[in-house]
Amino acid sequence: MLRGKVALVTGSSRGIGRAIALKLAKEGADIIINFFRRREAAEQTAEDIEKLGVTAKVIRANVGNPEKIDEMFDTILSSFGHLDILVNNAASGLPRSALDLDTKVWEWTMDINARALLLCAQRAVKLMEGRGGKIVAITSLGSSLVWPGYIAIGVSKATLEALTRYLAIELAPKNICVNAVGASLVPTEVGLAYARGGQLGDDSTWQTTPAGRMVSPEDIANVVAFLCSEEAFMIRGQTVIVDGGTSSAPFGFTHKGEGD
Amino acid sequence: MSTTEETIKDIVVKIVHCEREVLTPESTFQDMKADSLDMVQVLVALEDEFGIEIPDEDAQKFKNFSDFVTYVEARIAEKK
Ligand SMILES: NC(=O)c1ccc[n+]([C@@H]2O[C@H](COP(=O)([O-])OP(=O)(O)OC[C@H]3O[C@@H](n4cnc5c(N)ncnc54)[C@H](OP(=O)(O)O)[C@@H]3O)[C@@H](O)[C@H]2O)c1
Repeated sequence: MLRGKVALVTGSSRGIGRAIALKLAKEGADIIINFFRRREAAEQTAEDIEKLGVTAKVIRANVGNPEKIDEMFDTILSSFGHLDILVNNAASGLPRSALDLDTKVWEWTMDINARALLLCAQRAVKLMEGRGGKIVAITSLGSSLVWPGYIAIGVSKATLEALTRYLAIELAPKNICVNAVGASLVPTEVGLAYARGGQLGDDSTWQTTPAGRMVSPEDIANVVAFLCSEEAFMIRGQTVIVDGGTSSAPFGFTHKGEGD
Repeated sequence: MSTTEETIKDIVVKIVHCEREVLTPESTFQDMKADSLDMVQVLVALEDEFGIEIPDEDAQKFKNFSDFVTYVEARIAEKK
């Protein structure tokens, strides 16, 4: 149970971040909803969270911009005074091949997807001082497997996972647990746009997993909530993969049952 | 031409790297050859320059350059 805890979920206006925010709220945490472009969606999430009987505060900040991260944490400091949970979920990026990847897209993606964890963690640790805390980064199978057109994001996620390990060790004496949750394709707005971009082949190739269905935002949120619980205390610096088995089945998953 | 419009042009030219002459009231994002990242960066730069917020819900309705200018001018007027 997370009653009385304060959690910041970056990029929680919609998609996986929204599901994580709702899950942590159901466990009793007060939630800071961060967004960048979609204010209406963020306010809707806040409304849905408040119905669960906890406090929700919406803060707009582009986590790719260090100044905006600072402003966000200044607001958290003045509104809550402390922080117990940071979920680094916000991400952005554009489809590119290696030979088309220019510095503009590279920097945009790295700043939002990877550097933001470092900068948010630096500020969050000050708000967790003396009380401990949990930091969870949301990453993707595209960090270790090659997904078509995904180079900018995949590389930023590999950085994010390395950062997770370094932070986990450095922050361990402060009683702060740092881990990551890695997803395969999740049918959010961007997930579907990416899959339907045609690079993954026809629908049947990505619309299932060995577990029999796609990974949902709630599947990710459940693991995040577990990593934020005391039961996960000894898990440090890990990336927990939530993919219904996809990454273990490079030749696809056509098993139809015993005797086939 | 208003100074607001001039400033917006400066920002678009700097981020999108298009010719200033391309920016007529009717020019569309295709005319400017702006991709989705350019667009977001232009919006963010306008927000910082004028101290306003341009949510995607509004930005999605912009069709051409004059929509930008009209919107930004209206938001600035609201602030005063
Ligand atoms: N969907 C998948 O298939 C998949 C697979 C693997 C990993 N993931 C990871 O899961 C996480 C969430 O993905 P999703 O599918 O839920 O994405 P999504 O539906 O596109 O949502 C992205 C969220 O991040 C916010 N955001 C984007 N740029 C931001 C910035 N610069 N500053 C602050 N917030 C920003 C968005 O805010 P606005 O609403 O204001 O734009 C939105 O709340 C990401 O880390 C993603 O890489 C997703």
